[in-house]
Amino acid sequence: MDDLERELGPLVDLEDDNNSSDDNSTKRQKRNSLFVLNPMCAEASGETGAHQTQTVCLKKIREAMLHHRWQEAAEYMACFPQMLENRSASQHYKELLWRMCTEILHHFPNSTMEDYMNIYERMKHSGVKHYLMICLEHSFHLLLHGRIQDAKQQLTAAESWRYGHESAAQLHRSKLIQAYRSLLDYIVWCDKKATNSENNHLDCNNDDQGMHNYFRQASVNLQEILKNPGIWDPFILSYVDMLEFYEDHEEARNVLNNYAYDSSFPPNPNAHVYLYQYLKRHHAPEKKLMKVLKILHVLVPSHELMLEYSSLLLHSEKQSDIEKALGVLLEMLDFACWRSNLDVWRSLKAVILKLQIQTDWQNAVGKKMADRKDWWPTLHFTSFHASKDSVENPELWEVKASLTKILCPDRNLKYSTEQETNDGEKHQASETLAKKSI
Amino acid sequence: MEDEDAAGCAEPCAQCSAVNWGVSDEGRFYCRSCHNVTERTQEVVNPSYTPGVNRVTTLRRRSRTKTHERGRVWMVCEGFQFILKQQADSLLALGVGPHFKDDVLCPLWRLYLQRSRQAYTAHPLRSSQHRVRDSDSDSAAESIRSVTVTDGESNPPSTAGSNADSGSELSGSVDAAFYLTRRRSRGVMSMKKNLALIYLALVWSREALTLSDLLRLVNEGHVPYVDAYEQLPEEMKLTGKDALLFRVKSVPSHRTVHKEAQALTQLLQLPAFPAISSQTLLHPALLSLRYLTEANLPDELHPWVCRLVECAGMADQTLHTFDPVSCPRLPCYDVRAAALIIVTIKVIFGMDDHTECDLCNGVDLHDDSGDGFNLRRWHRLMKVALTRAEQKAEQDIARKRWTTERPVYQNKKEKVCLTKRKRIAEQVQLCFEKLSSCPADVRSASPSSFRFCWGDEDGSDGPSLQHMKLDGLVTLKRDAQTPSNCTYWHPALRPCSRWKCSSHYSEMEALLPRSFVWLLQLFCFLLDVEPHCLYEEVLSVERRLFSSKTPRDRVRRGR
Repeated sequence: MDDLERELGPLVDLEDDNNSSDDNSTKRQKRNSLFVLNPMCAEASGETGAHQTQTVCLKKIREAMLHHRWQEAAEYMACFPQMLENRSASQHYKELLWRMCTEILHHFPNSTMEDYMNIYERMKHSGVKHYLMICLEHSFHLLLHGRIQDAKQQLTAAESWRYGHESAAQLHRSKLIQAYRSLLDYIVWCDKKATNSENNHLDCNNDDQGMHNYFRQASVNLQEILKNPGIWDPFILSYVDMLEFYEDHEEARNVLNNYAYDSSFPPNPNAHVYLYQYLKRHHAPEKKLMKVLKILHVLVPSHELMLEYSSLLLHSEKQSDIEKALGVLLEMLDFACWRSNLDVWRSLKAVILKLQIQTDWQNAVGKKMADRKDWWPTLHFTSFHASKDSVENPELWEVKASLTKILCPDRNLKYSTEQETNDGEKHQASETLAKKSI
Repeated sequence: MEDEDAAGCAEPCAQCSAVNWGVSDEGRFYCRSCHNVTERTQEVVNPSYTPGVNRVTTLRRRSRTKTHERGRVWMVCEGFQFILKQQADSLLALGVGPHFKDDVLCPLWRLYLQRSRQAYTAHPLRSSQHRVRDSDSDSAAESIRSVTVTDGESNPPSTAGSNADSGSELSGSVDAAFYLTRRRSRGVMSMKKNLALIYLALVWSREALTLSDLLRLVNEGHVPYVDAYEQLPEEMKLTGKDALLFRVKSVPSHRTVHKEAQALTQLLQLPAFPAISSQTLLHPALLSLRYLTEANLPDELHPWVCRLVECAGMADQTLHTFDPVSCPRLPCYDVRAAALIIVTIKVIFGMDDHTECDLCNGVDLHDDSGDGFNLRRWHRLMKVALTRAEQKAEQDIARKRWTTERPVYQNKKEKVCLTKRKRIAEQVQLCFEKLSSCPADVRSASPSSFRFCWGDEDGSDGPSLQHMKLDGLVTLKRDAQTPSNCTYWHPALRPCSRWKCSSHYSEMEALLPRSFVWLLQLFCFLLDVEPHCLYEEVLSVERRLFSSKTPRDRVRRGR
C-alpha cells in the first residue's frame, strides 16, 4: 500500500488544479474535487469499427515513432497493412504505409537489406502514383550501401516504365530518374577509370571500351537533361569531369557557359563558380576570369572567391580596378563571417597601400566608406574586438589597428590595448584642445 | 480417298526418291514404291469432337444436394441459421446451459422464419426466380406483389437447373438480391439481428450473461461475428451480393442491438417472458452485487442498493420482465443495475464535489481500525486501474483484425483489385512480424465476465476493498441505519417527449459535478455503453424514487 501511495503522489498536484466551476467562498475553494477526469475521446458517430481501428492504429504508430519506440512501432505496423484491404483505402494510405515502413526500417536495429528489398518491391506494385518515387528512393538506398549495379538496374527499369498518359508530374520524375541514372553511369565510369589507372600495364582495351560505353550512355542522357532549366550541380560536375578526361574542351565550355548564362535557368552562383574553376584550370586569360567573377560578386558578395577576384583586380594596372578591389573587399567584410579572417584584412591593407600611391586616395576611400561609417566601427572596431583579437590573433589585431585611422578617420575608435588607449586618449584629448584653441 | 490424303505430302522418299505416298491403316505414310514407312502420321481431324464434352457435366439431378462446381443451392436464411448455430455453440462452450440453445433459441428461430414467411408457412415470400420451383399457385400471387430487382435480369425460368444458374451469377445464394431489396423491412435477417435474437434467447432463458457481456465476447472474438461466414460449409459458396449481407465492418453498439431486440419482440409477437424475480441473476438485486464487486466497492453497499430498489418501487418482478401488456419495453438489465448503484452512491456520498471530500476527511479522522471505506482511496485505485484498462482497450482496438482469410467480394473487379492488395498487406505484415518477433494477432487468452481483478495475487489490478466497512458514513438513527449525508442533488427530472429529444446529457455534462461524471464514465467503460444512456437511466431511477405516485400506478402507466 505504501508503494501505491508513493506512486500516486504526483496525482495530488493534478487534483489541486481542478477547481469546481461554480463561485464559492475561498474556504470552499480550498477543498477541490476529489475526482479528476481524463478527457475521454469522443467517438465520431457513424464511424465503423474498422475505421476506428484504422485511426487508432495510425495514432499509436505515430506516437511510437515520435517517441522513438521502434519495437512498439514495428508491432503496430504489423497490424496496420490490413487496412489496405478496404475498398476505400486511398492513395494517401499507401503513401503513409510506404513512408512509415521505410522510416521504421531505418531505425530498427535488426533490419536487413532483404527487408528493405521486400518492402520496396511491395510498395512499388501497390499503386501507380508512387512507383517512380519509390524506385528512386530504392536506388538511393542501394547506392548508399554500395550496390551501384543494383541501383542502376532499378533506375533502368523505372526509366522504361510507363502508365497511362504522361502527366506532368510523371514527366518530372522520369527526368529525375534519367538524370540519376546518368549519374550512376558516371560513378561506374569513375570506378573504371580508377581501376584502369592502377592496372595501366595490363591490356585495358576492353576496359577502355567499357568506360567509353558508360561515358556515351551518360553523356547522351545528360545532354538532354541539362537542356531543361533547373539546378543540376552534381550532374554538371560529373559531365564536365568526363568531358575533360576525353579532352572535349569546347563541349565542356559550352555546357558551363550555358549553365551559367542561360537566363531560363534559375540564378545559381555555383554555376559561375564551376565555370571559373574550369577556366582557371585551363589557364584562361585574367580578363575572362574577372568577367566571370564580376557576376559572382553581384550574386554573392561574401563568396570566398572574392579574395581571388580582388587579387586579380589588384594585378591589373587600372585605377578603377583597384578601387573596385577596395569595394569588393569592403563588401566582403560587411559580412560577419569574414570578420576574423586574416587574409581578407591583409588584402585590404595591400589594396589601401597601393591606393595610397595616388594622390586623392582619401577621397576614394571616403566614398566607399560613406555608407559604412555608421555601423562599421561597431562591427569591427570596438574594444571588445580589440581585446579578443589581441589575445586570439595578434597579427590580425595589428593589421586591423593600422587600418582604423584610414578607414574611419573622423572617429575615435577604441581599437587598441589599454595602455595605448590611455596614451591615445591623452593624445586625442590634447589634439582636440589644440583644435579648439585654434 | 487415300490419294487425296497422301497428296498433301510432296517430299521424296528417303530410300527411293519417289513421290508416291500412301496412308496405311494405322495412319502412317508409306512409300508405294519401296514400302518405306515414315514417321509422319496423318492428322486425324474429327469434326464431331468438342472439347470438354467428356467431362461429367450432364449428370444433373433435380435434388438440392448436387455438388456442382458452383456449390450447393442455398438461401440466405440458411446462411444466417448456420451462423446462429455457430454463435450459440460458442456460447455453450463458454458455459451457458444447453437449454438456451435447444429449448429457447431454436424455437425462436423457427418462429422468426415463420413470422417473416421464409419457412414453416403455407404462403412463403419468394422472388420470381424460384417461382417455378414451387407448385403452389399462391406463391405466384405473392411474387407479383414482391418487388424484385432481378425481374428484368433473370432468364425465363424454363427449367429448375437454369434458375440456380441465374441466381449464382449475382450471388452465391439464391435470393441475396431479393433479400437486399427488402433490407429495410423488418422481416429480413442481418448480422446485427442475429445477435439481437441471441440476446432475446439469453434473456428468456434467464442466463446471467448481459448484453454488454455478449458484445464484449463478440469484440474479443470468443463469439464468431466478423469472420462468422468463414465457418459456413464449403458447398455454400459466397459471392457477389452475399458480401453485402454477411460482411461486417463493425460490431454493433449496445444501443443498436437493444433496439433490434425490441423490434424483434414485436415482429415475433412474443408472449410474456419467464419472470425475472429477485432470485434471478438478471434482477437488479443480484446483478448489482456483481457490479459492486467489479467496481471494487464494499459489499456493505449491497443492502443499501436493495433498500433503494424497494424505495423506488423496483422490486416488483413485473418491472423487469418483458410482457406485451404490462412491460412492452425490453429492460436494459445491465444499465439499470449500474444506475441503481450510482444512485446509491449519490445517496451515501453526495457526489457533488464537496460532500464526499468532507465525508472522506471525517472517515480519516475517526477511523481507528483502518477498516473504514475511504472514497478518496477507492478513487485513486480505480483511476489507475481504469487508465490502464482504457489503454489496453485502445491497444486492442488498434490490433483488431477486420479482414478474414477468405474474403467475399462483390464483383470480379473488386476481387482482382483487393486480392492484389491483400497479398501486399500480407507480405508487409510478415516482414514486420519477423522484425518485431511479435505476431500481429493477439487474441485475449481467456474470456472473462469481469474487466478488473481485485486482490493480492500477481496480476491483479489492486487490493480489494470489498471487506471495508461503511462505519463513518452511516449512523444509527431511531434504530435504523441512515446515511450520514442528508443532502441529495439531482438535475431536472421532468422527462422530455421521447419523440422530440433523446438526451440532454451533452448540454448538461459541463454543469454536472466532476465526481458524478467520472462515476458515469467508470460504469460506461465497464458496460461499454454511451454516457447518455446511463445518465438517462439514472434519471429514470430518480424519477421513480421521488415521484409521489404508488408503485402500482407507475406500472399501469407503462413506465
